[in-house]
Amino acid sequence: MNKVIAMSSLQIKNATKAYGTVEVLNDINLDINSGEFVVFVGPSGCGKSTLLRMISGLEDITAGEMRLDDRVINDIDPAKRGIAMVFQSYALYPHLTVFENMAFSLTMARAPMAERKQKVERAAEILRLTHLLDRRPAQLSGGQKQRVAIGRAIVRQPKIFLFDEPLSNLDAELRVQMRAELIELHSRLRATMIYVTHDQVEAMTLADKIVVLNGGKIQQVGRPLDLYDDPDNKFVAGFIGTPTMNFLSGQVTDVAHDHIIVAGLGGDPKIPPLPIPFTGFDPSIRNIELGIRPEHATIASEPSTAAGLPARVTLVEELGDLTSVHTVLANGERLVAQNHGRRHQGTVETSVHIATDKALVFDTSGKRLRPAST
Amino acid sequence: MSTTVNAAENLSLQASANGSRRWSPSFATVLKWILAIGIAIVAVFPIWWMFNVVFSEPGVPISINPRLYPTSLSAGLNNILIIFTETDYLRAYYVSVMYTLLTIAGILLFSSMAAFEFAQFQFPGKSLLFGIVMLSLMVPTAVTIIPTYLLTVQLGWLNTMQGLVVPGLASAFGLFMLIQFMKSIPAEMIEAARLDGANHFQIYWHVALPLSKNALVTLAILTFMNTWGNYIWPLIVAPSPHMYTVGQVVGLFNAPYSHTTVDIVMTANLLAAVPPLIFFLIFQRQIVEGIAHSGTKG
Repeated sequence: MNKVIAMSSLQIKNATKAYGTVEVLNDINLDINSGEFVVFVGPSGCGKSTLLRMISGLEDITAGEMRLDDRVINDIDPAKRGIAMVFQSYALYPHLTVFENMAFSLTMARAPMAERKQKVERAAEILRLTHLLDRRPAQLSGGQKQRVAIGRAIVRQPKIFLFDEPLSNLDAELRVQMRAELIELHSRLRATMIYVTHDQVEAMTLADKIVVLNGGKIQQVGRPLDLYDDPDNKFVAGFIGTPTMNFLSGQVTDVAHDHIIVAGLGGDPKIPPLPIPFTGFDPSIRNIELGIRPEHATIASEPSTAAGLPARVTLVEELGDLTSVHTVLANGERLVAQNHGRRHQGTVETSVHIATDKALVFDTSGKRLRPAST
Repeated sequence: MSTTVNAAENLSLQASANGSRRWSPSFATVLKWILAIGIAIVAVFPIWWMFNVVFSEPGVPISINPRLYPTSLSAGLNNILIIFTETDYLRAYYVSVMYTLLTIAGILLFSSMAAFEFAQFQFPGKSLLFGIVMLSLMVPTAVTIIPTYLLTVQLGWLNTMQGLVVPGLASAFGLFMLIQFMKSIPAEMIEAARLDGANHFQIYWHVALPLSKNALVTLAILTFMNTWGNYIWPLIVAPSPHMYTVGQVVGLFNAPYSHTTVDIVMTANLLAAVPPLIFFLIFQRQIVEGIAHSGTKG
């Protein structure tokens, strides 16, 4: 009934982007299904915004192919791709009213006034902007400006919405509110949306599908919790989740059918080797890294018990419901443990228990080693 | 009640304390004020003298007992009537106004279009082209005036409005000023317009121009001041009386062998000064800001 937006799918095949000899995106392959909310996430300079701009047509594609609804769009003008983009700085025209800003694309297309009015009013209603249509951008708050920018995109009835870090300029509280509004908007419009952010919390809360990028390459594509629970590599494991995953280096001393024995964790020779559940481990691999989420590491109530890793507390973050305890191990590796509901007692020399059944195993190149059964 | 009285007394005491501080300027401040007032008198006196001579019975201001204030409105009005009825002053006004307006419109249009490209887009040879344009800023008008005149003659534009206007439309200064301003337009705004389906000209017209309004107003004001006061170019390119500008006509009144009386000469001068004066009074704030912004003396 609420047919405001057409639904569309996007395929990216072997897309590459280079500026001269500098390659910023390398062999990108991605399928985005109709109606999906896809989030590109990665650190600064990973190429996520460039990829978004390539989809919009604001950047050329050096090599590869981009298809929108099975039509190659590589050389199609940005305005004719049926794509709307919401910019980080909102990019509202300060000399135009909210109505004129939202109707800009229709004005450029010389649409009749009645059509402009109808489409803008409909978008304004969706975004609760009706009472602001006569104002200028300077008279709006950050959240309202953001809604106008989204409204301008809705009016165009695009096949795909692109968002380039749209919440970065908002304060923390407003960002949470706008996130909720975006989720509501997506479910209401059922439109295909592609969203770029460097904030993994934003990615986790918004996305149907997350695309993690680093160094111009896609590291992993998947549903938020799949990336959290089952990362392909050390980068994804470290990037998704706050506080970030702990990585402890160790040596595999024995390989059994359903577990491996790992020695040298934390660098203290007194620590006995730990059994880590793992089926089908390649016995030729000796050096590994264990990935342990902070919630799977807890501070022991008594210091230096035999079962834990001796650690020195360097920083305690008391957040009320949970406490993050930053520690340093004997070999200098850092490890963050979390106590849920239990306050830190103030001890400096302590030991950390890790839930070995939750530990992920990576080889020295950072690639995830998965047990044979999964 | 007494508290209120005390508070009021305190306030008045503070005010008098502040007042006494304000009214005890340093010696340097007094000197600066004297100097400023002196300069203002030197600047204003010729204009005042012009009023005085025009609005007085002939000979009174320069008599043995001169008056420094106007004495006869009717004499002044009569002088103005003589100028308008017995000379082609109105025609000169028309030429000057058209010359100024067309120059302003042309400079704003061409400078803004070129500045839009230079400021927002990359194209081959951009730096070289910009360098050449900037180089022309450093060449004095006196150097280029003869070649420009010869070109205008070859085009057959002598004694024509296009001869007056067109050679002045390529303003390196205007281009430079607008480029600096348009560089501050966020690229995202241009890209948003592009995604919204605006073509190149529509982006220029609907986005870049409105966003550069302040710079355009400044450039228009500076161009007005330059063009209205331009004497040399109209003098050589429009020597025919029907194309005289106000500046040229005033020049004729002031010529050594002009037989006009001093009150008529002053009336001609006054009428020439009225448009810029009105213009200045209206746009005073923008002119000062424009001069401060563009770093020019106009």
